[in-house]
Amino acid sequence: MNLALKDARYHLFKFISSTLGVSLLLMVVFTLGGIIRGVILDSSTVVSATGADLWVVQKGWLGPFVEGSRMPEDYYRAIQSMRGVAEASPLVMAWDHVEHPMRPAGLMLFMYRNARIGTQTMVQPHWMDMARELRFLLIGYQPEHIGGPPMIVSGREIEASHHELVADLKTGLQLGEIIRLRGFDYTVVGLTRNMVGFNADPVIYARLEDAQHILFEPDPDLLRNIRRRAGGQIGGSALVAPSVVQPSVRGASAVSENLHMINAIAVKVEPGVPIDEVAQDIGHWKHLEVYTADRQVNMQLMGANRLILMQLSLFRLLLLIIAGVIIGLITYTFTLDKIKDIAVLKLLGTQTSRIYSMIIQQAVLMGLLGTVLGAMLEFASEPYFPRRVSATLGDMGQMLVIITVISILASLVAVRRAMQVDPRIVLGT
Amino acid sequence: MERAIETKKLVMTYGTGRGKVEALKGIDLSVNKGELLAIMGPSGSGKTTLLMILGLVTVPTEGQLILDGDNIYNGSARDFQKLRREKIGFIFQFSNLIPFLTAEENIVLPMDLVGTTGQKAHARAAELLDYLEVTGRARELPERLSGGEKQRVAIARALANSPAMILADEPTASLDTDRGLSVMRLLRKVSTEKGTAILVVTHDERMIGEVDRVLQLVDGAVVSDESQKKGQGEVSKVGPKAATDIHEKPIERAVPVRT
Repeated sequence: MNLALKDARYHLFKFISSTLGVSLLLMVVFTLGGIIRGVILDSSTVVSATGADLWVVQKGWLGPFVEGSRMPEDYYRAIQSMRGVAEASPLVMAWDHVEHPMRPAGLMLFMYRNARIGTQTMVQPHWMDMARELRFLLIGYQPEHIGGPPMIVSGREIEASHHELVADLKTGLQLGEIIRLRGFDYTVVGLTRNMVGFNADPVIYARLEDAQHILFEPDPDLLRNIRRRAGGQIGGSALVAPSVVQPSVRGASAVSENLHMINAIAVKVEPGVPIDEVAQDIGHWKHLEVYTADRQVNMQLMGANRLILMQLSLFRLLLLIIAGVIIGLITYTFTLDKIKDIAVLKLLGTQTSRIYSMIIQQAVLMGLLGTVLGAMLEFASEPYFPRRVSATLGDMGQMLVIITVISILASLVAVRRAMQVDPRIVLGT
Repeated sequence: MERAIETKKLVMTYGTGRGKVEALKGIDLSVNKGELLAIMGPSGSGKTTLLMILGLVTVPTEGQLILDGDNIYNGSARDFQKLRREKIGFIFQFSNLIPFLTAEENIVLPMDLVGTTGQKAHARAAELLDYLEVTGRARELPERLSGGEKQRVAIARALANSPAMILADEPTASLDTDRGLSVMRLLRKVSTEKGTAILVVTHDERMIGEVDRVLQLVDGAVVSDESQKKGQGEVSKVGPKAATDIHEKPIERAVPVRT
């Protein structure tokens, strides 16, 4: 006869409402875990999706997602020809924006308004106005090489030689939508899911040439100005000092020629060839910085997102402790309600272990049910979060073990109280 | 006749020095199987203390206790638990049924504690419910039973493991006269038919007509032990001095048993 289950069934409302409370708390713990995993996935998505073994950047620079390394586009050809390299892909990647007011869903608007109200004493007016521009990570790639969108969930890949884009769903852009970048109209022809940079800005893919144009083409007015100033110098001094004039002319031309720059080269190593060896060769012979994919993710994760990860982890730990305390308190009050019954059980000769087991079982049952319910609530609520939240069944399994331990520890206070119950209290009354 | 319980020179002292209180002063008592004994006395006379010692909840300061032929001597808390499970049944003033168990489950519980489970335990519970005429209430929780029904179920629970002795603490105090008498008659029936020794602590003099003997306690001592053999005119009065002097291994420690 399982006394714990019988008691829980008898006090069903109390047990369920307590379990529900625990589950809501554990839902938050799960969500935090999901947010942490989301940050990790966001930090690794592009690197993983590219499938590159090595990332090559300018000497002395960190990876392309962390610092704005630049090198000539044709470097990739030299790397392509090296021993052990299966493929080298020139990539352009940088953050950019377009004027594109957000179109948040109703729930998001509600949360945003809440945040505004909640922070109005902390920030200056208008600091929390809704963003008017869409920020994104632009990746330019050559369709015949690695580095493009890994999977199109809607629409198609880029086929035209110019002015087509593949955007992530998180941009809010629609298929066929046209956005204007650096004076040209680009059409969204395909959509990806969950392709974001390490700071959760969505990725927009373009052909390498288009990306170079968008990111490196100087403003036409600025270019005209430079040429005019160079022309003025030529007009005045070309005949008397050609050595002074010629660098200015070359400079003006170089501005437009510099479009053939890239930020990184993604390298895929031939099967069976040690990645470290190839990395060493490239670094040694080409005087470039080479990072493995793991190191690249590590840089993003523990560089840019280190503090937020630690912050969230600490908060998660605190919540787990609070959950334990709450389970302990609930179990304790459950036990207080049963003091007389425990005295009767003791008088009937019930084994001490059985009485304690009843208390511990209830705490564990509440913890386990709370965990499962909390996980289900978390899974159901994930799509409504603005950033990626990715809790898994594995998290739930892990949490079941942790909560079992926490519940047992938490119920020890109640067990101690039960130990103090004197069976004589039901006699002589 | 076979003895269910026997005590020899039971002494129970609380406190030390000036605060020392002698709750029991050398109680000698023997109850046979099938005998129904009422323990009476004013408040503070030591009834409850005696009940606790007989129920193996408290260890006496001195004296000897023989339960169902076994000399209970300085056992561990676990030993006392086992003896309570197997040889003693309890009935309380307010029945104290476990509220989250049905009437039937309350009866099955003591059997479950000694390892009798499943069909055998349920058959026994059904038999006891039938014997105590509460068959129709088997699936009800205690809160849905009347006071009389609760006490019947409590009696059934006490009988579940066929104990050598049942200790009943004011079993009729919370009932009106009719229901109280009905419960006492049931106890009478149980002791006669099942051969169980039943010791009833009571203040209620209306109930003594149903018992075999009445033990009067005053200030921790037996002032009378009156046998009531109705129709046979056999009434004996025994004072504390008449009790046996037998001293075997006395229990020296006064340790409340923690269970």
